[in-house]
Amino acid sequence: MLRLFAIVVFIGIIFQNCAPTRFVKPLAKNQNAISANLGGPLIHFGNAVTPIPFTSFMYGRGIANSTTAFASIHTTAMLFGNFQTDIGVCQRLYKHDSLKFGITVNPAVNMVYDKWNKNFRAWPQLDVNIYKDILKDKAFLYIGLTNWFELSAKKAHNETQKNHALINPHIGMTYNTKKWGYTLECKFLQMNKKNIPNVVDYVGIQQKGAVGIYLNFTRRF
Amino acid sequence: MKYLVVIVSLVLFSSCLRLDDNFYNLEDKITEYKLDNYTGEQDFILDNSYYIPDSLIHHFTLSSKGPDDNNATTIHAIYIGSISKIQTDTVIMYCHGNKWHMDFYWQRAKLLAHTSGKNKYGVLMIDYRGYGLSEGEPTENGLYADVDAALQWLKLKGLTNSRLMIYGFSMGTAPACELSNKPRSMTPSKLILEAPFASADVMANDGSGLNMPGSFFTNLKIDNAEEIKTISQPFCWIHGINDNFLNINTHGEMVYKNYNGIYKEAHRITGADHGEIPAKMSFNDYLNTLSTFIKK
Repeated sequence: MLRLFAIVVFIGIIFQNCAPTRFVKPLAKNQNAISANLGGPLIHFGNAVTPIPFTSFMYGRGIANSTTAFASIHTTAMLFGNFQTDIGVCQRLYKHDSLKFGITVNPAVNMVYDKWNKNFRAWPQLDVNIYKDILKDKAFLYIGLTNWFELSAKKAHNETQKNHALINPHIGMTYNTKKWGYTLECKFLQMNKKNIPNVVDYVGIQQKGAVGIYLNFTRRF
Repeated sequence: MKYLVVIVSLVLFSSCLRLDDNFYNLEDKITEYKLDNYTGEQDFILDNSYYIPDSLIHHFTLSSKGPDDNNATTIHAIYIGSISKIQTDTVIMYCHGNKWHMDFYWQRAKLLAHTSGKNKYGVLMIDYRGYGLSEGEPTENGLYADVDAALQWLKLKGLTNSRLMIYGFSMGTAPACELSNKPRSMTPSKLILEAPFASADVMANDGSGLNMPGSFFTNLKIDNAEEIKTISQPFCWIHGINDNFLNINTHGEMVYKNYNGIYKEAHRITGADHGEIPAKMSFNDYLNTLSTFIKK
């Protein structure tokens, strides 16, 4: 039973955090991008520390210079018979040209459908990022918050849902070439949850949560 | 339209991995039961005052065949007490947790054999199919079938419903609840749950912080929180306040609150984590608690 609990916590983390922020900076109008995301919580594996390699794929299109729409497929969730997607937009709220920084938000909806019991759930997500261009605009650093919201007033067995927001901080960097973008992002997942004892040996901070490392490869066209 | 076809196809053809098979913790393989000579990890080790003479330790096998089984499965059982006295003794059917095998739970069973005095009550423990030396693969229905096979054996030896107590620890609370709610061979007269599991939905909620259904991960139907609602037997609930695996508030309190039967009592144990209840309570207090409940 201990094992079961650990696995469910583990999967709970997967569902919410199998990808980095979709877009920190919007695409140009009519520009398209596809990306592959790889990464997850860090675990101790033998003497090494490695991220669990969860995967998802995303398509995005610039619908205005400050607005990019995106949709994704979570391939790891799919392995478990769950179809999961997140659909949303990246909207730039503020940009300071001379100081080379900006603020963007990614409102999105995460939807999961399980083919076994036909259960469907949807959760709004709002990522907020502040970025700063560096290396002559070839790269940018960003920090932000990944926020999931539970709108349901009830949870299992008709109990009252008390927590309606899950907040995970993250920091990352994107390096762009003419056609490609490479992102490395670090999240602090479930930062209020104790991570020991646990079958999965997470790398957390002060025995709480898990640190996640994510890679994103984006091809623009 | 073509996008709809693609999405529907992805749903239909998405893979079939489930975590169910990973839930059963069979990691420690054994070739024989060592009981007191077992040196592997255990929650606690009793001192010599809890010694049980070999003449009162009976290791045997049972044939378990549930309603869904095509063939019978051989499972291993240990009875602590005098088999000839089952006709008159009170017996505790101990349904152990998810970890490993009866060697791991031997100290717990031995402790239970001291409820109300040394060997006052008989204690029966089994390894569910796939656990320890029991044959087969573990399944949810197999848990119920295997415990029922043990109850059939007790019935054959002369036990009556009024002298049968069923005790479930952790995962063992599932067969304890199931067979109290929907009795098969025997109807337990009292139910004791230590660190019960509420449901897969509660686990998924706890794990994710969201109203996430358990079906996203598992096909297990164990739902003690609902099953307890229709159990009428007197009920004793024990849970560690510091249980880091099955949270006392989301799992234990839920099961306790949902009980609507004739009598219930709760024991919330300060400082106790999942496997620590007997030790944190002190063995004497633990045994006195059980003894008082059983004698009520």
